[in-house]
Amino acid sequence: MKSIKLQNLLLACAVALSLTACHKDKKVVPEDKPTADLYVLNQGNLGLPNSTLTSYNYTTKLLTPDFFLLANGKGLGNTANDVKIYGAKMYIVVDKSGTVEVVNPKTAKSIKQVLFQNADKSSREPRSIAFYKGNAFITLYDNNVAVLDTATLTITKYIPVGRNPEQLAVSNDKLYVVNGGGLSYPDVDKTVSIINLSSLTVTKTLTVGLNPYAISVDSYGDVFVHSYNVYPGSPQLTIIDSKTDVVKSITEFAGGPFAVNGDIAYYITSDGTINTYDLKELKASSSNFITDGTTFTAAYAVVTNTLTGEVFVTDAKDYKSNGLIYAFDKNGKKEYSLVTGINPGSVVFVNR
Amino acid sequence: MVKFLRVNFRSQLSLIKKSGLFLFFTLPIFTSNVVAQSDTTKKLDEVRVSSSLIPQRQSATPIQSITSADFKRTSSYSLADAIKNFSGVSIKDYGGIGGLKTVSVRSLGANNTAVLYNGIQLNDAQNGQIDLSKFNLYNVEEVLLYNAQPAELLQTARAYASASVLAVKTIRPVYDSKKNSGMILGIKGGSFGLFNPYLQWKQSFSKHWGLVINSNVQQADGRYKYHESRDGSDTLAIRRNGDVHIQQADGGLYWVKSDSNKFNILFNFYNSKRGLPGPVVYYAAPTSQRLQNTDFFLQSGYLHRYKNSVSLLFNAKYAHSYVRYLDTGVYNTSGFIDEHYRQNDFYFSGAVSYDIVSNWKISYSSDADISNLKSDVYQYAFPTRTSLFNVLATDFNAGKWRLQANLLNTYIHDEVKSGVAADSRSAFTPAVIATFKPFIGQNLLFRAYYKRTFRNTTFAEQYYYAVVPRPLRPEYTNQYNLGAAYTKSFAGIIDFVNISADAYYNHVKDKISYIPTRSPETPSVVNLGKVDIKGIDVVLKTGFKTIDNWKGVLSVNYTYQQALDVTNRTDLYYLEQIPYTPKQTLALNAGFTRKQFGIYYNEIFSSSRYQNSNNVPEYYLPGYSVSDASLVYNFIAVSKPVMLSVEVNNLFNKSYAVINSYPMPGRSYRLTFQITI
Repeated sequence: MKSIKLQNLLLACAVALSLTACHKDKKVVPEDKPTADLYVLNQGNLGLPNSTLTSYNYTTKLLTPDFFLLANGKGLGNTANDVKIYGAKMYIVVDKSGTVEVVNPKTAKSIKQVLFQNADKSSREPRSIAFYKGNAFITLYDNNVAVLDTATLTITKYIPVGRNPEQLAVSNDKLYVVNGGGLSYPDVDKTVSIINLSSLTVTKTLTVGLNPYAISVDSYGDVFVHSYNVYPGSPQLTIIDSKTDVVKSITEFAGGPFAVNGDIAYYITSDGTINTYDLKELKASSSNFITDGTTFTAAYAVVTNTLTGEVFVTDAKDYKSNGLIYAFDKNGKKEYSLVTGINPGSVVFVNR
Repeated sequence: MVKFLRVNFRSQLSLIKKSGLFLFFTLPIFTSNVVAQSDTTKKLDEVRVSSSLIPQRQSATPIQSITSADFKRTSSYSLADAIKNFSGVSIKDYGGIGGLKTVSVRSLGANNTAVLYNGIQLNDAQNGQIDLSKFNLYNVEEVLLYNAQPAELLQTARAYASASVLAVKTIRPVYDSKKNSGMILGIKGGSFGLFNPYLQWKQSFSKHWGLVINSNVQQADGRYKYHESRDGSDTLAIRRNGDVHIQQADGGLYWVKSDSNKFNILFNFYNSKRGLPGPVVYYAAPTSQRLQNTDFFLQSGYLHRYKNSVSLLFNAKYAHSYVRYLDTGVYNTSGFIDEHYRQNDFYFSGAVSYDIVSNWKISYSSDADISNLKSDVYQYAFPTRTSLFNVLATDFNAGKWRLQANLLNTYIHDEVKSGVAADSRSAFTPAVIATFKPFIGQNLLFRAYYKRTFRNTTFAEQYYYAVVPRPLRPEYTNQYNLGAAYTKSFAGIIDFVNISADAYYNHVKDKISYIPTRSPETPSVVNLGKVDIKGIDVVLKTGFKTIDNWKGVLSVNYTYQQALDVTNRTDLYYLEQIPYTPKQTLALNAGFTRKQFGIYYNEIFSSSRYQNSNNVPEYYLPGYSVSDASLVYNFIAVSKPVMLSVEVNNLFNKSYAVINSYPMPGRSYRLTFQITI
């Protein structure tokens, strides 16, 4: 009697175990260490620790979904927001994890993880990065810009700026920081802090469109600031003359951040197409840059490779599954497309 | 990227809300419970097996149930644990004692399962999902899961309105001539710093009047260790901010003239403060989010079955819920987000059934519900929703055949104080159920059903941060089921065997889906998605005869599910399995009792899943197998019945997650001491 029951039990356990054993753990391990030509930084799902760094090698056509994980045996963390290469190092800014991962641009091997955290280990939310003469400048959502010595990888100073600073850029040897204030929506910020790069202090604060979030510069000394505005107001473009630090104009502009290449800036329109902006004439073209009929579900970021003239557009699709990146030649014809991670927000090119 | 971040907060909040954070209870009163106890001759089509164990019912649509006597067999603490073994069920468990736990039946999502508490739906107009972790089991008599709907005609119209129904029935007063009062005192404690004293008082005042009062307090720090390898640390981390502080009380006053004439009035109060640990954050501490819920409801029901073949059932309910969400780690001007939500729900239901002839019944049920929600979130709409449910149903018995059919009309009308109200909706949705018993005297039954359901948007989907009005359509599901059930008793060692198998096909159209867009101008809730679901549920249960005071039981539930995204051929995930849906799950429960001792073992196996629509290696979540064990000892001390138990969850200390980035606890223990006086 007892044995019969035990047999039943054991049989059932065996079934359960055999089912457990038959799942397939698919892991892709590349044969040899690839070198990347192109990185796409994927923010990941909202709040989740699944930011990834997709890499692509032009020659071998090898696409690696998370090159950072592969190189370091650990993930980037939560909401990676910006990536840039400066000198021989690549910097990956991870918002919720409160880190800047400094890595070798060719191998993505970690050089140092720089923490931007409070005493209780909560993140100060690093957002974006820019460089000038050996220093990296990182906006922190707690209303500061951190100064990081790129040689020693130590933080040398925090410069107080406006609320929830977003992107930042250098023009005419000055640093321009957009203060978004988006976390207090609808009571948003609307300023740009101008930082003197010798004294590392804010020397002037300009009023721009409401809730600014992006900044770009051209070779003529103009600084372009994109603002979301507060609904139902329309998005705005503010142009600052960096020679005089005066706002030249604030206009309604139904398009996103500029990807600058020479006299042309590429941007995503509110209709999800790609248009160009003439930086010399300060005028938007009315025609779609894409000439082969390619369309996007949710165009997310546009970047140009200044060496080749190619234009890259990422598509976030439904914002919670894998996206795509499309490469176009300078005539707007699609060259190829690649699968990225979730919310592909930033792209960098490795010159080797 | 401000918006991205903002949305980020919003999505966390939304998760919270989904977590039942906002939940608003309503509760029960008196309906199918009462009905089930009725003494009328229509004793349903249930064949109860002579066993205390989850009997397999031979029903028109699949029913699975678990009674209070069996909660210990599965080492269950909350309602979510009690139904974890059910076939076709997947519990979305965010981990820990205060972690959100919702149920998805046959891959249709939590919003498509109604939770009836003593026959009345728990209505959450804000989120439409019930957090099962909020329900302790100490006052629960039985939990049943009905695919499609309960078969009884005399029930609320709302009971017909969902793709499946999870019915919770609470403990009733006993009308025992010898003893007119009883009290159970108990205390549970163990891992997670759990301290949980509870009390149950039953009193009968006369032949007709009885009272049940339950109360309990739960305190826990909610901490547990988990294994995290993806941040490179490869060590045990501690899950924090999962503390709970809960006070709960419920009770009912019952008047029972006969099983055909009864009345009750019930109340339920729930107050909790808890931390929301959120997803795991690598390298940094998560922000500290807190949630407070205060829920109250009062409900009453009256049933009368007249001798002239007419039966009436009335229910009424008022529910209020208050939710406060606080996040103190925000870099806005105030330094925190502090949101408050107050929801009121007024509900009335009337049902009448009539026996035209002895084997043909018809019924009509009509429900009205008014819900409103007030909140201090930005540009909130302050919606008031009027919902009307009207259903005509019939039940026809013809020898070997039984046919049931109903047609439900749902009418929904919203009004808002600011912004734009959603369009009014009206929809007719039918269900047809057929059973066939080929052999008289044998418990073999074939069944088939078709049911269509309509799910309107919740307040959160329609109005939460809807800076721009959201033009949403309702979500429709179609269910087709074909199955068989067989019960056999034996003369030998095996006492009985119950087996049932059902194959089903579900199609979901216009699935309402949250998408985290980056700007408020873009709708963040859309009708996105079609899903094709094919599955098989198999339920096997056996009992063994008592020999030398030993008695054994064994049950096995198996589920196969293929749930494919068929939204758009151009999607990267077209024809791939939807997230968090294992192809196979197997639940095994075995136990022995000998005199006062019981020892039980439970194991759940889940095959691998993907945490994302893309079925690619990066999103692969390995399968898991988790075991629980319990030991129960009943004895008499100072002439009072005493129960001692030890329960162990995750016996082999497996590291796993049901939801990615929400790690589950390792091995945990719970001790219970209970005395009946």
